[in-house]
Amino acid sequence: MNWDEYLANWVAEAPVLAGSAAVVLFMVGVAALLGFRHTAKLDDAELARLAAAEGANVEHAVIDARGRNAFVRLSGGKLMIARVMGNDVSARVSPAAAVQISLRNGKLSVRFADLGYPPLHMRLQAPPTWIAELAGEPK
Amino acid sequence: MTAPVTTMTSPNIEPPFEIPPIITYAVPAFVLLIIIEMIVVKLTKRGRYEFRDSAASLAMGLGNRVFGIAFGGLAVAAYFWVYQFRLFDLGWTWPVLVACFFAEDLAYYWFHRVAHERRWFWAAHVVHHSSQHYNLTTALRQTWTGTLGLNFIFWLPLMLIGFPPLMVLMFGAISLVYQFWIHTEVIGRMGPLEWVLNTPSHHRVHHATNAKYLDANYAGVLIIWDRLFGTFVPEDEEKPRYGIISQLGTFNPFRVAVHEWVGIWRDVTHAKSLREVLGYTFGPPGWSPDGSRKTSRSIKQAWAAQQFPPPFAGEVARAQLATEGAGPGAPPSVTLRVTAPPHAGEQR
Repeated sequence: MNWDEYLANWVAEAPVLAGSAAVVLFMVGVAALLGFRHTAKLDDAELARLAAAEGANVEHAVIDARGRNAFVRLSGGKLMIARVMGNDVSARVSPAAAVQISLRNGKLSVRFADLGYPPLHMRLQAPPTWIAELAGEPK
Repeated sequence: MTAPVTTMTSPNIEPPFEIPPIITYAVPAFVLLIIIEMIVVKLTKRGRYEFRDSAASLAMGLGNRVFGIAFGGLAVAAYFWVYQFRLFDLGWTWPVLVACFFAEDLAYYWFHRVAHERRWFWAAHVVHHSSQHYNLTTALRQTWTGTLGLNFIFWLPLMLIGFPPLMVLMFGAISLVYQFWIHTEVIGRMGPLEWVLNTPSHHRVHHATNAKYLDANYAGVLIIWDRLFGTFVPEDEEKPRYGIISQLGTFNPFRVAVHEWVGIWRDVTHAKSLREVLGYTFGPPGWSPDGSRKTSRSIKQAWAAQQFPPPFAGEVARAQLATEGAGPGAPPSVTLRVTAPPHAGEQR
């Protein structure tokens, strides 16, 4: 296949791709219309379950106001982020040394070196001491 | 396209009929079946849907098509290049078609197994497993990087044997279409078909993250390969939990597509030796020099230790290996009675 044929192939496929995109939007719309829009909620019990799955207990935790994100210190010194993913929950556990934590003007940011788990950003009205310590802020 | 009668001495690599665009023709059925499944799930509560998850899966399917147009030619070119060096001249005859069906399905089994056991190939395949849901849209959650990750090399031996490349591509497309319908929780068990075919029940096990279900049921169309090579695990009363060990925290298709590749890059650039480079790239997913990360094997060993405290864990695992190695003729009830994970406590 030469370059011209390659381009011609793209031109030929373009309407098919456009049609496919439209069908994708249609199916997602049908799913939304049928009510598949459930959103899970994080609470202390859920965090305890996630921690237990890692063989740990929750020592300290903050959950955002909507119950969508949580930042947790586990027994053993590891940290856990939990995040609502639609009607499921996803969690990451990592040693504190492998996590970047910043706390500026009450805004907590936690980053893992993992593209599949975007950074956590959470606004805290009164950041607990343990988070300030983790972020390296003076007591 | 027509062609003269094929002979063994002058093979015809062109098919004696026009091969339809099998996947394209199947798309309307895919759409219809997805909508039917959504309605069934809504009415019966059997199975789960979530519209953001489905949007991500369908976007991955669309992206797979885009990348297929961009790079799929590389795989086809490789097929035809290798075909020059074929050992036998196999034309488009009925016996060859039957043999090619089995050979393609066997090649798929080994591709799929290696895609789970080696991180390089897992980096592309993980996309398909990254949903926490299991429904027909999950079937369309396909990789964007399969061709660039050289997945096609697993089919090259077929061309080397002498199967015409277009015949292999045709059965590959048929296999892909077949595997669509097994991504559902709406269908339970299918009786005697479970002995031979890959079914929704078998494939639910494959997509599960439960320790007892990990690294099992790699079949494409025929489950016989798992029974033959000792990777078959039946679905039992334990409900599958879907996804991957480290569930993703995003629905962003671009992050879904490349996150494991970026992970390999990050690990390799921090590696301290060639052994570490090779381990991070071609070791099992989760491999680390100090063993601090979880692999399927370590998870299954920990689970087996909980279920069957020493010294029995190893014995039960060996019993599982023995029954799984009994081959496709072994009655399914033999493996149903054994609940230890495959290979637990064993070196692979």
